[in-house]
Amino acid sequence: MAYTPQYYPGSTSVGINRRKHMSGNLEKLRDIPEADVVAVMGHRAPGADYSSTHPPLKEMGEPDCPIRQIVAPTAGAAAGDRVRYSQWTDSMYFAPSIPYWRSYWGAINCKGCDPGTLSGRQIIEARERDIEAYTKAQYDSEMTDVALCSMRGCTVHGHSLRLEENGMQFDMLARTEMGSDGNVYAVKDQVGIPLDRKINLGKPMSEAEAKKRTTIFRADGIPMCGKVGARKYDEAVDALHHMWELRSKWGFRPE
Amino acid sequence: MAVKHTKKLFVRALNKKFGKDFDLAGQKTEYKRLGPEQNARKREFMEYAKKLEGKRGMTGYNPYVHAGGIPLGQRQLVPYKLSGTEYVVEGDDLHFVNNPAMQQMWDDVRRTIVVGLDMAHEVLQKRLGKEVTPETINNYLEILNHAMPGAAVVQEHMVETHPGLVDDCNVRVFTGDDALADEIDDQYLININKMFPEDQAEALKAAIGKTSWQAIHVPTIVVRSCDGGTTSRWSAMQLCMTFIDAYNMCAGEAAVADLAYAAKHAAVLQMSEMLPARRARGPNNPGGLSFGFLADMVQTSRVAAADPVKVSLNVVAAGAALYDQIWLGSYMSGGVGFTQYATAAYTNDVLDDFCYYGVDFANDKFGGFAKAPKLLDTAKELATEVNAYGMEQYEAFPTLLEDHFGGSQRASVLAAASGITSAIASGHSQVGLAGWYLSMLLHKEGWGRLGFFGYDLQDQCGPTNVFSYQSDEGNPLELRGANYPNYAMNVGHQGEYAGISSAAHSGRMDAFAVNPLIKVTFSNPGMVFDWADVRACFGKGGAREFRAAGDRSLVMPAV
Repeated sequence: MAYTPQYYPGSTSVGINRRKHMSGNLEKLRDIPEADVVAVMGHRAPGADYSSTHPPLKEMGEPDCPIRQIVAPTAGAAAGDRVRYSQWTDSMYFAPSIPYWRSYWGAINCKGCDPGTLSGRQIIEARERDIEAYTKAQYDSEMTDVALCSMRGCTVHGHSLRLEENGMQFDMLARTEMGSDGNVYAVKDQVGIPLDRKINLGKPMSEAEAKKRTTIFRADGIPMCGKVGARKYDEAVDALHHMWELRSKWGFRPE
Repeated sequence: MAVKHTKKLFVRALNKKFGKDFDLAGQKTEYKRLGPEQNARKREFMEYAKKLEGKRGMTGYNPYVHAGGIPLGQRQLVPYKLSGTEYVVEGDDLHFVNNPAMQQMWDDVRRTIVVGLDMAHEVLQKRLGKEVTPETINNYLEILNHAMPGAAVVQEHMVETHPGLVDDCNVRVFTGDDALADEIDDQYLININKMFPEDQAEALKAAIGKTSWQAIHVPTIVVRSCDGGTTSRWSAMQLCMTFIDAYNMCAGEAAVADLAYAAKHAAVLQMSEMLPARRARGPNNPGGLSFGFLADMVQTSRVAAADPVKVSLNVVAAGAALYDQIWLGSYMSGGVGFTQYATAAYTNDVLDDFCYYGVDFANDKFGGFAKAPKLLDTAKELATEVNAYGMEQYEAFPTLLEDHFGGSQRASVLAAASGITSAIASGHSQVGLAGWYLSMLLHKEGWGRLGFFGYDLQDQCGPTNVFSYQSDEGNPLELRGANYPNYAMNVGHQGEYAGISSAAHSGRMDAFAVNPLIKVTFSNPGMVFDWADVRACFGKGGAREFRAAGDRSLVMPAV
């Protein structure tokens, strides 16, 4: 019998969505062309050659190493690509993904990547052609809503701010905009350099859809601790209490 | 029912910030993108920069170089209310460079040294056969308050400091011996009976006993030109010269070395420990300042003992400014970002609201301050409740979330409220610390985000150091400090840890947290900074109502 990892506790939609994000078994909602993903990332012009930091591994004459024999290199590593990044900002107002779950998704499902988790942004670094593939996977899947999530290399401010009146996440650099046709368009790349054309990212989720797909616990969505005066802890809290208690006791070690 | 504990203290501040008619619960808004011109202080900066253009002959402040031409102010630039006060200032006014009260707070620490008198008196009496009486002590103190600011007492043709530049310098003595205290001239005495409530005075005097001490504050201008490491040297030199004068000693005799040794080493209490070479600071610099010492420096405990939350939050404010803004934000790093992190803990009554909620909840449950069992279960129950309450406020009031727009700010505030509540409820700082770390984990679990990278490092592994007493891993929280291994790099923590240290003792109604000498020394009415009301003093500094010491304008041409 094949083992199915139990990534996360809880039977609420948040618990279920969190498990789904970690498993990588995500619904594909859109198909943004590769060239458009590359343009928004802003590291190379679409169609341009990849810059490399070393020759292809096959030409390098690698040392005799059992680990290298076991682990096949990623396409980017095999080609000698430089390491680049994509960084996401997810609104606290029911964006589907949240920083730690983007990181868990990356660490579990993306080979050769280096996720970094902060409060207002989440970065994954990898060889360039690999990170392009990982970024497209994030863009296309239910991890991303194009109004509540955006790629921001710098000046990421916005995750905790009220939404714009049209439901878009605030962005100081206004890298995306809501079109009159109801589609969201990218007009600048990750670091705010204007694109030479608007890129159609598609329609945003409805509020109900975002609430259904989100991984964030919130009192006005799925609460983690019930409410004031009527506490009811999610299974995730019970699991966390257990972990916290064991860590605390382990540190005591009176012997 | 916990509902009754909800006070929503922050709503008033939010109304002041966002305007009375603002929908504080609305999750959407129109961003007007009015730029820096919307803010009075930014306008002042721009106007002043224009004046400087000709004088400097090169470019300087220009908010339009920000983010490739997109200046600050794409969202509303809101002011800050100093918690527990009526002061409302601009964010810029809380950067320590713009706030003379914050500078003075730090100056007051590093210019202070406590030196015992008893060892010197023994040398005088036993080795030199001198008589030491209350009269000779008063005479000595008169000479010392002439000499300590930088004046000569023994030699001819000496240079001296201008009294107007060093008028903040003073030395007062204190003792646990009421009989001796009665004999000291009032102007030279820190009168414990007068400065502290009766029960605290008795506890302090019992701890200090018959010993006598000098609370020495060298001139602010000296430590601003040198650093905290100079304080013991400056004071020791003037102490020795004063002994020579007051007791008619030979200036060159070997007994002077005993006095110098006492003044520099044997009878000295520095405010903070020397740091290792990689952080390269002498004693009396902020990195070596323990949380317990800072808790004792802050004097709110003697003027508002019945309100342990207020006591703790003034310690948090002092620590946030000193450890975050000045130590980590300037000595160790640099720039402006640290102010933004730190202000969350002492502005807009947010931490106040969360703490009062928690402490009222705990009082109901356990029957008063420091009555809860000193157990992990106490931290578990209280931190879970307080953290959940705080997160719910951020969710119910989007402008509150917007105010604490960085995860590190929210993490500090939620964890501090959880820790302070647990510490006040149990009267135990380690239970408070356990509450802090549980809050961090719960916060991260709920929202899937915490603070910046450092929070991952420090706070997710942190529970293991709470109850560890092995030297490199743990310590009672009061004895940890800015240079404790896991705390040495992380903004948004150290002031709060000092607050939790204070909370355990203010919950127990203790007269002091760690050291009675520090507590009494900082009650000296000659301090320039107001150590009893830290947040109001920061407000005065921000409102340009505070006059700091160490000003050089007396000896410079007028602007």
